Amino acid sequence: MPIKSAFTTTIDHVSILDVNANFDEKLGAGLIPDGDLVRLYEHMCVCRHLDEVAFKLQRSGRMGTFPQNMGQEAASMGAAYALDKTDWLVPCYRENAGLFWRGLPMEMILLHWMGDERGNAIPRELYCMPLAIPIGTQLLHATGLAWAAKYRGEKRLACTFFGDGATSEGDFHEAMNFAANLDIPVIFFCQNNFWAISVPGKIQCSAPTIAQRAVAYGMDTIQCDGNDIFSVVYCVRKAAALAREKGRPFFIEAVTYRLGDHTTADDARRYRDQAEVDAWKTRDPILRIRKFLTTRGLWDDAKEAALAERAQRDVAAAVERAESIPPPDRNDFFNNMYATIPPDLALQRDTMQTHGIGQDPSQIEGAVIELPAKTSH
Amino acid sequence: MAGVKQPDDKSYFILPDLGEGVHEAELIKWRVRVGDVVKEHQTLAEMETDKALVEVSSPWNGVIGELCGNAGDTILVGSVLVRYAAKRAAVTGAPKTVSAPVKQPAAPVAAAKIETKADTTEDAGTVVGNVSGSLGVPSRFARQPEHESVSSGPNKSLATPAVRRIAKELGVNIQQVRGTGRGGRVTASDLQAVSQGAADVARETTASRVVIAQPITHSATNNNTITTSPAAISVAYPSVNREGVKECIPFRGIRRKIAQALDLSVKTAVHFTVVDTADVTKLDRKRKEYAAALGTKLSMLPFVMLAVCKALRKHPTLNANVDDANEEILIKEPIHLGCAVDTDHGLMVPVLRNAHQKNVGELATLVKELAESCKERTVARENLVGGTFTMSNVGSYGGAFATPIINYPEVAILAVGRAREQVLTKDGTFYAGLVLPLSLSCDHRIVDGAEGAKFLNTVLGFLENPDRLLV
Repeated sequence: MPIKSAFTTTIDHVSILDVNANFDEKLGAGLIPDGDLVRLYEHMCVCRHLDEVAFKLQRSGRMGTFPQNMGQEAASMGAAYALDKTDWLVPCYRENAGLFWRGLPMEMILLHWMGDERGNAIPRELYCMPLAIPIGTQLLHATGLAWAAKYRGEKRLACTFFGDGATSEGDFHEAMNFAANLDIPVIFFCQNNFWAISVPGKIQCSAPTIAQRAVAYGMDTIQCDGNDIFSVVYCVRKAAALAREKGRPFFIEAVTYRLGDHTTADDARRYRDQAEVDAWKTRDPILRIRKFLTTRGLWDDAKEAALAERAQRDVAAAVERAESIPPPDRNDFFNNMYATIPPDLALQRDTMQTHGIGQDPSQIEGAVIELPAKTSH
Repeated sequence: MAGVKQPDDKSYFILPDLGEGVHEAELIKWRVRVGDVVKEHQTLAEMETDKALVEVSSPWNGVIGELCGNAGDTILVGSVLVRYAAKRAAVTGAPKTVSAPVKQPAAPVAAAKIETKADTTEDAGTVVGNVSGSLGVPSRFARQPEHESVSSGPNKSLATPAVRRIAKELGVNIQQVRGTGRGGRVTASDLQAVSQGAADVARETTASRVVIAQPITHSATNNNTITTSPAAISVAYPSVNREGVKECIPFRGIRRKIAQALDLSVKTAVHFTVVDTADVTKLDRKRKEYAAALGTKLSMLPFVMLAVCKALRKHPTLNANVDDANEEILIKEPIHLGCAVDTDHGLMVPVLRNAHQKNVGELATLVKELAESCKERTVARENLVGGTFTMSNVGSYGGAFATPIINYPEVAILAVGRAREQVLTKDGTFYAGLVLPLSLSCDHRIVDGAEGAKFLNTVLGFLENPDRLLV
């Protein structure tokens, strides 16, 4: 018997607005209306400015740590733009651009990194999950959220964001397997920025693309230029259509690059060549849109100057709001995990200010505590 | 806010955690000078943590009043990095609030921080205005403790519930404990120090301790004992009477580094000291012969160095470093002899490398060159590290015996006293001889008492028999 092919596939790569701002009219026409593109650009610039300010805040002790978003704004924001406002955004920690586009107030991100839990109390109507710091855990949450939406008969899908490093985690594979086999409308949006902190992509994925990992699960997949917002919007729309119409998951590999350090605790100069960083700086998504807008007569230096001023003002105001928040109430500690607080936690809460934490009040000698009249929730 | 509380009055800037869990950073370069007007986010300094080279930025606008550290210094997170000059307040009729001097008295940094905190919380919003922690001595005297607790209310001390519980168990009033933890928090060890401190005082007044193993650095001549207080960081310090202060010297820079090194040594190594005298009458004659032959002045020191090298070959355990982190004793092959040198800026210990390969003339020249380079501060960094055994020539300043502090992680140190002519006896007759006092401190964890005594005896043997020494 001759050997036959068991399976063949190709993975498409989409690029619409290239590095030199050449635009593919066939694919890109009408994808993003001019007015929207200007607003997207403005949001990206504000996000970039916040990046710079937050970095300085950390360096002067006003913030615990901060991961800069620099370089990945188009990927994040393009995805958020292409989705419906009621689709779940399930971010990792480098998703400021997408979250701001969705409407998350900037000070919440600042609060989060200042170590204030109230930064995670995201308004329900935004359909954003809190930032996921552990690598890859949010993929399972997204799969669960989309599964729940499907179960309830909602037309909502979930889009989760993660880096190339997360695709080496067990959680990634579990989420992918679940989503593909149970027909769950979730978009896996991988921002391949080539570096899992200091580990280069090529030593943790032997395949030439990350996208082909999806093929193994029988999932549709596509790769795009993640620094080109048009490509990102194109791919996410395609994925969203499949999810909504067929209830199928989709995997997108957005090829991008983090121009900054992993976080403020990192020094990328120790492991990355400056030449590589410089090369990627020429592919900066913000420069590319600006060039495009300028050639179309939609942008000029005066607008740029006004925007810079606005960004400065808005970010300074957000910092002010974040820093002037009153100290949290110590009971907040107990209030956000359960709808109804379990008795053992209630006991801890109520005895927290005595010398016998978690001890039954009756056993504490001489303790003066005021118990609330029977906890009711 | 990142573990440290910056002052509300913006009078100084505390070095924050620059990474995640970083507790110190080396100052690489200042990017501002005293008097510079700086803007919020402007870079103040380049610093290197164990993870990254970072630019530290100013959290607010201001004028630089003082830079607390020099390039090369390691700055602890939580200590003051920069002080800002008082703002030129346009308040008329309130000159006292304007004059806040920039210089902080030499109080330890942690203490300065807490006092300032108390000051600001107390004064915020009062008619006095914002009195910062940089106030001089008089106002501090004016502030009575009772007054403090009345105005700032209970629970002023920062501490975790667990620590408060320990305080309760130990019967320590936590409000009176000076916290050394992050942001001035009272820690469990602060409480232990306070309660033990009380016990120690009681013990010391009743019992006289017959232990040689306690810290005395440079020299001890007869009753004239010089002790240095180790720069312990983690104890609760008593408040110091500031009356009659003539000069207030910031406890920083080399002085502080010396203190830290000694402190670490005393806290880690278990010191014991053996002393003896060598009859160097014959050796002194040889010394003079050598000096005449070489045509230079020649001290006794290079001869003692030679004797030490030869003795170390017979007692290799003393030529070692102890690696406490890895729980290993590293016996060294080459002898890199540290030589304590007194300089205008403090004690330095340059290392004479491969001393075992040198003769007396070379040793004399090299030790002289090293001492000079230390005094001129041109000594290369590699000549300040890597010692395997150290010698301290206390005799050049007049001391006889000492209890020298080991240059940790080395395991032994020899102090050489001043040679004196004395009446000696031999075979029932008197003679005038030259006597050299020697004091050897060893880390008892590594070197047994017998081994230390034998080593010293071997050194003595070489010194008293120059023919064996100078073969």
